[in-house]
Amino acid sequence: MNPNAQVCLQHLLRVWLGFERDLSTVPLLRRLDLGTYTIEDHLCLLRNLRQQVIEGSRWITRTASSFDRHHAEIRSTVISHAVDEHRDYELLEKDYVASGGQLEDILGMERNVGSEALHGFLMYRASRNNPVDLLGAMWIIEGLGEKMARSWAERIHELTGLGEDSTRFMTYHGHNDGDHMQRFYRTLDEVCVDERTTKAIVKTARVVARLYRLQLEELNHDIE
Amino acid sequence: MSVYITSTGAFLPGPPISTGEVEDILGMVNGQPSSLRVQIQQANKIQTRHYAIDANQQTTHSNTEMASAAAEQCLDRAYLDRQGVGMLAVASTQGDLPAPGMASMVQANLGLPAIEILTTHGICSSSMMALKAAYNSLRVGDHEAAMVVSSELSSRLLKKQRYEAATDSTFAAKRIDFNTEFLRWMLSDGAGALLLQSTPAPKGYSLRIDWVRGFSHAHALPTCMSVGSAGHPGDDRTWQDYDSYADAERAGALLLRQDVRLLDNIIRMGVDGYLRLVQEGVSEPDKIDHFLCHYSSHHFRSKILEMLDAAGVGIPEDRWWTNLYTRGNTGAASLFIMIDEFLRTDEVTIKEGDCILCFVPESGRFNTTYMQLTVVKN
Repeated sequence: MNPNAQVCLQHLLRVWLGFERDLSTVPLLRRLDLGTYTIEDHLCLLRNLRQQVIEGSRWITRTASSFDRHHAEIRSTVISHAVDEHRDYELLEKDYVASGGQLEDILGMERNVGSEALHGFLMYRASRNNPVDLLGAMWIIEGLGEKMARSWAERIHELTGLGEDSTRFMTYHGHNDGDHMQRFYRTLDEVCVDERTTKAIVKTARVVARLYRLQLEELNHDIE
Repeated sequence: MSVYITSTGAFLPGPPISTGEVEDILGMVNGQPSSLRVQIQQANKIQTRHYAIDANQQTTHSNTEMASAAAEQCLDRAYLDRQGVGMLAVASTQGDLPAPGMASMVQANLGLPAIEILTTHGICSSSMMALKAAYNSLRVGDHEAAMVVSSELSSRLLKKQRYEAATDSTFAAKRIDFNTEFLRWMLSDGAGALLLQSTPAPKGYSLRIDWVRGFSHAHALPTCMSVGSAGHPGDDRTWQDYDSYADAERAGALLLRQDVRLLDNIIRMGVDGYLRLVQEGVSEPDKIDHFLCHYSSHHFRSKILEMLDAAGVGIPEDRWWTNLYTRGNTGAASLFIMIDEFLRTDEVTIKEGDCILCFVPESGRFNTTYMQLTVVKN
């Protein structure tokens, strides 16, 4: 990768590592660490994730349409991404029911405070011309998908006694293989060619990391 | 003012113990061989280690004696009369006595008169805490020479009698209690010593200390390696809260535990601290000639190393050096034992101006510490 992309990756790694560490302070996720996570916690998590996943497909498709013909390569990447994931929320609904929840409860959930902020920010950035900074958003959200598959799903089964059908959404996202990283590096190398772009990508990664954690911190306020 | 490591020493008790002999020394719990030993030993790849207990689990050397032996060797090799040592800093996870501090006991053994002392408490990174305090005391000009010693006698925590006494513990209740057994097959005993001076040694190589930095993440992450709790979720009692120490021991509150699931965090935070030092311009990856790491590269998931390489800040594997595989994982003592052998080994050619990055991560509650040294010749 070019030197700007390398520096950008160094910063992105630190944003990710800080995000991952700070997830441990989110009460519901801390219970995964401490071994006190319950089926109720799991239902609460799924209820809250659904809105974010539904909105996720919207900002990705909006992002794709905001790239002009000079950004055809990255546009292709984003489009294939959107195709992959735009109906993922249906998996979440099935997981919810398999975990003992009522379908109408998850269908009736509104965006929590953090999801509002995250969605608002992503749609705003996605609506700008050539929003390359959203690579920073993909870095965080993809990373979290991989983390869910790698370290949450099995732990949830262990602590709650729920089966694999309770975490299909999480395990489905564990596709962040070597190819995936190589593709990310190629895109970064292509678009991250100056300091200004580096800063924009890193800033967006920071904002998304903070708002994603806010969304997870707001889980317990879902039923009032 | 610059500070130099001008002499080193190490002490490893008894003969090297092979992987197959470890359970002969630590003992079979209730006469049964461990079902996890081979798996854990294969993963850590340690070939030989040393213990300060014999095959009857009787202590052969106290922690104070090991620390003193390493310090004696360090002083014997130094171009300095022992009267010139103004400060003694000693690090250990657990001294022989809970009180007073271990530095008092080591000072008495060494016969160093009326010096300033410091005992640091922690796990692996306590060595760096002691080293940094001594380094700073030389930098401000309080002393011209300081002895820093780190010593570990973990086998006393790992012998079979400790587990047999924990009759009401998770270890007794579960068929396999990985978290309680993990460190039993990881840790061993030994001591290392470094002499710090404000001038380089008159002959041979000295190591100039360029900087020492540490980043602790206890504010965000749970406890990962500890002694003193029975390991039940939601039970906040520590060993001193039980009616008797015997009750605490029965409950397993005196067993050494590692929450293995959380262990990845130490790799992540280790990489984060390194990247932070690179971004601050403190560490320059291109200039690192040798990397002395308390962990070996095989402990790092290859993915995170690949990312560092892609980001242009990876440290090529031929620059990593460790003696963990032959001297064992001696916790806080590891880095000093490593530096001592690094300066003498034929495996590496050291030359004036070489830059050495040292890294000591502590999984206790995630403290990562770093030091940069430069090889100098007077």
